[in-house]
Amino acid sequence: MNELKAIPPILTNLAKAAKKQQNTDESQVFLTLADLFSKTAKRDTNLETIEGSLQEKLKTGYPVLQEQAAAIGDQGVLRTLTWGKKVTTIQKSLIHRHRKTGEALLSGQDIYICEACGFIFLGEKSPDICPICKAPSKRFSKVN
Amino acid sequence: MYAARNIDLCTKDCLCLFVCPTGATDTENGQIDKNACLDGCRLCVDACPSHAIYLVYTKYPEPKEKNPEVSEKLTALMEKTYNQELMVKTLGESSKNPGEQRLARALEKSLRIVAEDCAREAGYMLPQSIQVQDLLKLLLTNADEEQKLLLEKLLSHYS
Repeated sequence: MNELKAIPPILTNLAKAAKKQQNTDESQVFLTLADLFSKTAKRDTNLETIEGSLQEKLKTGYPVLQEQAAAIGDQGVLRTLTWGKKVTTIQKSLIHRHRKTGEALLSGQDIYICEACGFIFLGEKSPDICPICKAPSKRFSKVN
Repeated sequence: MYAARNIDLCTKDCLCLFVCPTGATDTENGQIDKNACLDGCRLCVDACPSHAIYLVYTKYPEPKEKNPEVSEKLTALMEKTYNQELMVKTLGESSKNPGEQRLARALEKSLRIVAEDCAREAGYMLPQSIQVQDLLKLLLTNADEEQKLLLEKLLSHYS
């Protein structure tokens, strides 16, 4: 195995899996470990840099993998890539709009996130069904 | 395999109480007592009119093996996404504008969910899988005392 640089998302994903298997103690251990393995956040960044990084993922990261996953017929990976690409597009567009309109973009708007795929929704009430992954509205949580 | 109740779906018709041979379904907290539940009995699952009861497995099959090259690239995508999460986190913490702070919190959460999905399809789906056990063992080699304790707890539970 190559050296892994991103341990926390693997561990929080396993925490969710353990919880679904009704192993609540193990789920909590995975969460605690995820915290312990978290890296300290980086310095010197701005929205423009982050938008550029998302754009690069959309331009090179996703398409190459989509082609490969299609070639070997891995439906699971293709599903991840389809959702991920759409969610990344939304993330990038939100940043872009915020850079253009500033604080006005979110004023008076609630933000909801689909816990299944990461879709971000601005509005008064979460959608009945997630437009990206079709999860029901109860899978949405509000961002404070 | 033992039964569990999805409380969001339960309509409190309580037909599970009629069929449960041990009384495991009859509890005050809305959950089924898994210690009293009979392995694989499933009478309550079939009797429930609102499909609110399901079976939780205790043994899982080893997941289908992933193509190593695709798995490696997906892992790289996950790492990039985690990096972006760290970037928005920094931004949110240093920003003085409430809107930007909220945007950063939303992006942080959304990016984590995307990264988790990559992790899942790169082979880290089941806590019981060999790939996850290998990862936990690998982390153990470089862990401090606190991390070691927790990693060993998981390894002994899933072995």
